[in-house]
Amino acid sequence: MNPALRRLAAACLAGLALLAGGLTYHQAVAGSGYRDDLRNPRTLLERATRQRGRILTADGVVVAESERGAGGDLVRTYPEGDLYGHATGYSSAYFGDTGIEAAYADELRSGKDGSLGAALFSLLGGDLRPHQVRLTLRDDLQRAAADALGDQRGAVIALNPATGAVLAMVSHPGFDPNILASGEPAEGDALAADPAEPLLNRATAAAYPPGSSFKVLVAAAALEAAGLTPDSLLPDRDELPLPGSTAVIRNSDDGFCADGRTITLERALAVSCNTAFAELGMELGAEPLRAAVEVVGFNGTIPFDLPTAASLLPFDGLADDPPALAQTALGQRDVRATPLQMALVAAAAANQGVVMRPYLVEAVLDADGRETSRTRPSSWKQAMTREVAAALTQMMERVVSDGTGWRAAVEGVRVAGKTGTAEVPGGAPDVWFIGFAPVDAAPGEPRIALAVLVEDGGTLGEDGSGGSVAAPIARAVLTAFFAG
Amino acid sequence: MSRNTEAALVGLAAALAGAGAVLAPLADGGLPTYDVLLAPVVFLAAFGGLLLAVRRWAGRAARTLLPLAAFLTAVGWVEVSRLDRDLGRLQLWWLLVGAALAGTTLFVLRRRGVGVLRRYRYLFLVTGLGLLLLPLLPDGWPVRGLTLNGSRLWVRFQAGDLYLSFQPGEAAKILIVAFLASYLADRHRALTVMPRRLGPLSLPEPRQLLPVLLAFGVSFAVLVYQRDLGASVLLFLVFAAMLFAATGRFAYPAAALALLAGGGLAAYRYFGHVRLRVEAWLHPFADFAGAGYQVAQGLFALGSGGLTGTGLGAGRPDLIPAAATDFVFAAVSEELGLAGGMAVIAAYALLVAAGFGIALRARDPFRKLLAGGLTLTLAVQTVLIVGGILRLLPLTGITLPFMSYGGSSLLANLVLVALLARVSHEEGS
Repeated sequence: MNPALRRLAAACLAGLALLAGGLTYHQAVAGSGYRDDLRNPRTLLERATRQRGRILTADGVVVAESERGAGGDLVRTYPEGDLYGHATGYSSAYFGDTGIEAAYADELRSGKDGSLGAALFSLLGGDLRPHQVRLTLRDDLQRAAADALGDQRGAVIALNPATGAVLAMVSHPGFDPNILASGEPAEGDALAADPAEPLLNRATAAAYPPGSSFKVLVAAAALEAAGLTPDSLLPDRDELPLPGSTAVIRNSDDGFCADGRTITLERALAVSCNTAFAELGMELGAEPLRAAVEVVGFNGTIPFDLPTAASLLPFDGLADDPPALAQTALGQRDVRATPLQMALVAAAAANQGVVMRPYLVEAVLDADGRETSRTRPSSWKQAMTREVAAALTQMMERVVSDGTGWRAAVEGVRVAGKTGTAEVPGGAPDVWFIGFAPVDAAPGEPRIALAVLVEDGGTLGEDGSGGSVAAPIARAVLTAFFAG
Repeated sequence: MSRNTEAALVGLAAALAGAGAVLAPLADGGLPTYDVLLAPVVFLAAFGGLLLAVRRWAGRAARTLLPLAAFLTAVGWVEVSRLDRDLGRLQLWWLLVGAALAGTTLFVLRRRGVGVLRRYRYLFLVTGLGLLLLPLLPDGWPVRGLTLNGSRLWVRFQAGDLYLSFQPGEAAKILIVAFLASYLADRHRALTVMPRRLGPLSLPEPRQLLPVLLAFGVSFAVLVYQRDLGASVLLFLVFAAMLFAATGRFAYPAAALALLAGGGLAAYRYFGHVRLRVEAWLHPFADFAGAGYQVAQGLFALGSGGLTGTGLGAGRPDLIPAAATDFVFAAVSEELGLAGGMAVIAAYALLVAAGFGIALRARDPFRKLLAGGLTLTLAVQTVLIVGGILRLLPLTGITLPFMSYGGSSLLANLVLVALLARVSHEEGS
């Protein structure tokens, strides 16, 4: 009987050893996954007791912090309300984390998680207090952009073309993250269900037809691939019948753009001449256009700290469809771009053709405010040659000095830009301004590139245009930048 | 181990219970209550008394048994009491009753030894089966079945407003092990020879196979009528293991496992509650709010515990359903971490090893099978419930010996330890 008993004993002890193995797996290997699972009620209860680091602007304004509430629990508060809502996002027991709260969750969280690693780290003098995150956003620019946009639906995004640091990012309508972090769930549900989509970050996660602001890229393709110069002459027509179609392209005032014979490329961009660019688009063809837009990020994903939507230019069958090509060259038809993407187009021209990787977090600080890491600017794409960038800059400056973008002009500063008025079937146009300043920055002198988008013509409705609605907003942001 | 070490270890377990009663409320921001004094006094009285009973009536017994049982009971009690102070106080009463019952067992067996149990094997069988079927008694009788948490495995004595509920399955398992040990000790030779041939299979005389089929039938009946997956699987595995111990033939456990697999598949196919258990085992997070909830909460508790635990009283084991009973191991592992959980598993391993040691040294087949069978119930029960919590097995609702809250379970397992001690005392020289 004893041999069988020995085998049974071995089997039982093996079973207990398996338990030891399983316990080790769940507690030491898979443990952190369970700890951080949103369905773990401990995760929710812990939010109420665990410190979370602050989020600051580049100029030191606190935009998210944890405060002791009435019951002694820690409450995540956002002192600036909806001004930074889309940037910080929210940290909510009920709705989860978004924005920088989600992207930098590990840094913002206290390291005190009960693990042996944390205990050892603490014993060795490590600091388990939560880190702070300093954004690249500047409070003065953020306010200027929000004030200028006012009640109009749209977005403003401004960045430093030399580094990619985002200086202002506003999307309206916005939301107060306090409601999602500590309000009633019903209020948050109402925000999510609101048809005006206040939770949508229009600056990075919504794509619109770019309208004439897209002509900057068509011009870049013409300079790059077709060897044109700003002085190259294009035919000036009052109407352009599209081959194989009854559609006719006209200019915004139904007249000629210049003298009715020819117009320079530079002038065509300055006055946003539709007939000239439509014809240019058909002559260029699909491939040069594709090369010019994909190299700045279209049909791809822009790396960023927040979720981004893709900007799209579908090329299927475009080469064999001249009318579509003509409308595409005007930023209509199937072209869609995010404000972030269009800001990068302006930034590429400003930065000698180099697109820097955009970023929203300047540095991570420890609890005492010492920098523990800093985002190093890195180039993302070489979008165009230095020469093309210089030629584009020259032409875009004329848009502001002597063209449709004159309302973006700032006293004493050379501003370059381009307006856009994208027709939306059955509604008011989505209007744009993209640009940068100063044109003549000395090496090391700060620069700003931006994109402004206003849905449905803003306060002007059907009469709104990029020049009348979006350019003044750009001017307000530029003025604040050069005043600061 | 010297007698003094044994006594010191039992005292240490009592001190552990007292220390837990101090620490847990402090971590929660409260103040310790009179449990601080009550717990060590009751532990000393119960296990000290049992220690004296063992010395008097089973003086040559292995000295590892009592300290291990006391340690496990103390750790379990600290967690149960931290989860629910009132349950903790009730458990102290059960501990006293259980120790008294274990002492009584030793007293009854003091002259004639465990060998006397062989005479009553059919009484044990009938009583055991009767106890298993007791919960099926209808409502309205003074003694009636009770359905708790979807399983009908409780019995309630009702006399006016007073009532007492218990799980007869816990006592039944000891009675049935005693019956099997006695039956197999007589028949093991007959079951070892396999004269019949069925194709490539060798079979014993069909008459000899009867108890195996009976075991399967009873287990399956328990499963079907009481929905008690845990007791059913426990009984069946212990049957099969004891048959193997008695005969040394792999054919028995192999056939049993085949039957278990077939029965399991049939149960999976035809019983919704079994299917639900299996689904919850394989994908606890798929039906998170439903069937998988308890398993998922257990895993969350384990993960939150990490290596060293949240600390006694500082975790949230109250979030786990049935934390004080079936899931007490998850609660302990949350608050005491991998370190505490491993200590508990190690204590079970030592207890199981000691039990098998006693079986190996026992002087005759009956005593070998009795000690082996009792130890097997301990081991299988522990592996079933802890394995269920750890997702190594589908979850079967069953108590963790010594640690789970519950009078029936504690009583049965203390008697089990007393029987092991007595077998150990009687080992041949």
